[in-house]
Amino acid sequence: MNAVSTGEQVAFWILGSLAVIGALGMVLARNAVHSALWLVVTMLNLGFFYVINSAPFLGFVQIIVYTGAIMMLFLFVLMLVGRDASDSLIETLRGQRIAAIVLGIGFAALIGTGLARALGSTFTVGLDKANANGNVEGLASLLFTKYVFAFEVTSALLITAAVGAMILAHVEKAKEDKRDQVTRMKERFRPGNYPGPKPGPGIYANTMSVAAPARLPDGNGAERSISPILPVRELSQAEAAPKGTEK
Amino acid sequence: MTINPYVPIVGLLILGALFALFSVSVAPIVGPKRFNRAKLDAYECGIEPAPTPIGGGRFPVKFYLTAMLFIIFDIETIFLYPWAVSFDMLGLFGFVEMVLFILTVFIAYAYVWRRGGLNWD
Amino acid sequence: MTSFVTAATAVDPTLETFENDIWWIVLIKLVGVFALLLLLTLFTINYERKVVARMAVRPGPNQVGPKGWLQSLTDGLKLPFKEEIIPKTADKVVYFIAPVISATTAFTAFSVMPFGGVVNMFGHQTALQLTDVPVSVLVLLACSSMSVYGVVLAGWASGSTYPLLGGLRSSAQMISYEVAMGLSIVAVFMTAGTMSTSQIVAAQASGDPVQLFGFEVTAPGWYAVQLLPSFIIYMIAAVGETNRAPFDLPEAESELVGGFHTEYSSFKFALFFLAEYINMITVSAFCTTLFLGGWRAPAPITTFWEGANSGYWPLLWFFGKVLILLFGFIWLRATLPRMRYDQFMRFGWKVLIPVSLVWILFLAFFKVARSGAISDTTRWVTTGVVAVLVLAIAWGWPSPKKPKQLSIEEELHQRPPGSFPVPPMDLQVPPSPRVRRAVAERDPVSKEV
Repeated sequence: MNAVSTGEQVAFWILGSLAVIGALGMVLARNAVHSALWLVVTMLNLGFFYVINSAPFLGFVQIIVYTGAIMMLFLFVLMLVGRDASDSLIETLRGQRIAAIVLGIGFAALIGTGLARALGSTFTVGLDKANANGNVEGLASLLFTKYVFAFEVTSALLITAAVGAMILAHVEKAKEDKRDQVTRMKERFRPGNYPGPKPGPGIYANTMSVAAPARLPDGNGAERSISPILPVRELSQAEAAPKGTEK
Repeated sequence: MTINPYVPIVGLLILGALFALFSVSVAPIVGPKRFNRAKLDAYECGIEPAPTPIGGGRFPVKFYLTAMLFIIFDIETIFLYPWAVSFDMLGLFGFVEMVLFILTVFIAYAYVWRRGGLNWD
Repeated sequence: MTSFVTAATAVDPTLETFENDIWWIVLIKLVGVFALLLLLTLFTINYERKVVARMAVRPGPNQVGPKGWLQSLTDGLKLPFKEEIIPKTADKVVYFIAPVISATTAFTAFSVMPFGGVVNMFGHQTALQLTDVPVSVLVLLACSSMSVYGVVLAGWASGSTYPLLGGLRSSAQMISYEVAMGLSIVAVFMTAGTMSTSQIVAAQASGDPVQLFGFEVTAPGWYAVQLLPSFIIYMIAAVGETNRAPFDLPEAESELVGGFHTEYSSFKFALFFLAEYINMITVSAFCTTLFLGGWRAPAPITTFWEGANSGYWPLLWFFGKVLILLFGFIWLRATLPRMRYDQFMRFGWKVLIPVSLVWILFLAFFKVARSGAISDTTRWVTTGVVAVLVLAIAWGWPSPKKPKQLSIEEELHQRPPGSFPVPPMDLQVPPSPRVRRAVAERDPVSKEV
């Protein structure tokens, strides 16, 4: 396949622009989660590129592993940090943004022209031969024979990932902190503790507020009937004023 | 004119997306609008919504571990697929190398299990 | 044309069949699959409501249309005309995109589902399947991994506590069971030697002949029989993946209200609803394809009806199998209580994943041993060593120490002084005299007794 077909060109220009838009959106978005979503767009398009370039297995693996798993991890991490984790716009180094933009464009131009000059007149060779027995089979016959060492080393990489994640994110609980049902029941019935349900806050003729405590037999309020999360609040002037319904 | 077999997948994707986008954008136009401030509050079973903490509240770090373990097993599964498809071709050698691979990943799994990383409480 | 000759028997499509499809045939099939999914969703909602109602001894929906079968259609038509409420804390753009992602991925997954063999459609030979590629199953898995975004973004974008918790839970659940689902399919690839859905169906057409007590018996071709552990793991993972009862923790209404779609209303809510049902149909259809012989008629039918798999008949068998699986989903919902979240995650990570890995290795060993790649002595020695290892591990596995069971008297004795009073265990409660009087007054017949 030496020439690029029309369909491939159309697909390239559509998907390529989408991928670039995604990358730009990722850099320009203020909200961290929006950034991650733009990156998902880019990665999805890269997956489609693989499929167009006769590597369907790799393309779908790109979608499953990168967009499905790794970007999901990114999203989780961003949500760990909190919802409004927006970028701060204060520059710590003066003129850093301008310099970064200029250098970035320069670097992109350098890479672009370099690649264009080097590969502009190169044609793909041997694609049909590589996919002769099917894409997946061809991949397997290389991966599990010639590159078997790299494949086995990947498993060591996965171990590293697991150990790193455990060290970063796992909070090991001491044995004493784990309380099972039996211990909790014993604590509930231990001497000095009141095991029954707490009295509900009262609903009286004069107030329906959950902030009104239940009455004990001696007429005093039962402190434990009020939920501790309720804020203590004084009545406002209007609320305290007589409502005209009293006799 | 014949069509590349991957195109219909994209076709159904576009058709589904158009349907979803159309219905999502049409609903606010044809639906009624009756403004009420209480409706726009977050739903918390009828009580006044508690003010969101600064930073918007945070996820438990536990979920990071789950996502990381998911990546590990996802990659393992992805390696298993081409191996399974050409299993007959690879024969004994393929079997032995996959046993080694699975056992190595299993060490990570056993470590996470032993440290209690798979426990939810 | 040879279509009359081939009409009597099933014609399996090959991957070339799909490369030769003409554009307007593809367009017809595309619109057909889309319409089919919408109709199936409307049907399934009614189906579920009716079956659950019968199981609860209620009539179920019976007002709209013939026997109430149009209920879901009217509900669906009503929803866009309802007010759409977007909470003021919501992230508007993401809130808008999330249901679109859910619905789109749900639709796309169906593009590689085989409904039947090659048929004559308006004079063209084409397969009853939108398309098929060498990596079809990965298309499905990619869709299911993308659909997690719909859930997690819906929960996050609502800017409210319950949806956030629901979305988080739901995404953790979906990714956990995705692993189990992915691993359960490996055995199918190993046996079929392909990842294309139509080829997997073709591979299940007939089983291998097996020597059994001197007779040659054809083993059943269905992978549900050949690979029973995979089938069971797949079914469990599919229920977890689609967030259906007993694994419907994301919408545990007693703790999370509606889960990730609590803040959604109007047609955005309808899209989540649609996506849930399409996903349920997809995993059922996928199960049919991978494990239940796909569109081929079940075993006894083809022996006395040659043409059962020809032409458009496979649609009947395919949807019959899908409806039976859907019935299973509904049955589970009507029967089982919801699981607790920690039990659920423990089950996924500590049972399903190791069991599927061990099963894959076992199957691989079995296949290698049967192919004759290793000598008989090696085979027996390996089997023996593995068996001894397994037994040794099982025997030496540290089991939790059981606390000594105390009798009630001993336990009472151990309580510290001042504990909450407990009545004596041998307390005889005399019958209340009022009980007898009340019975006598209410029931004059028993007065003589």
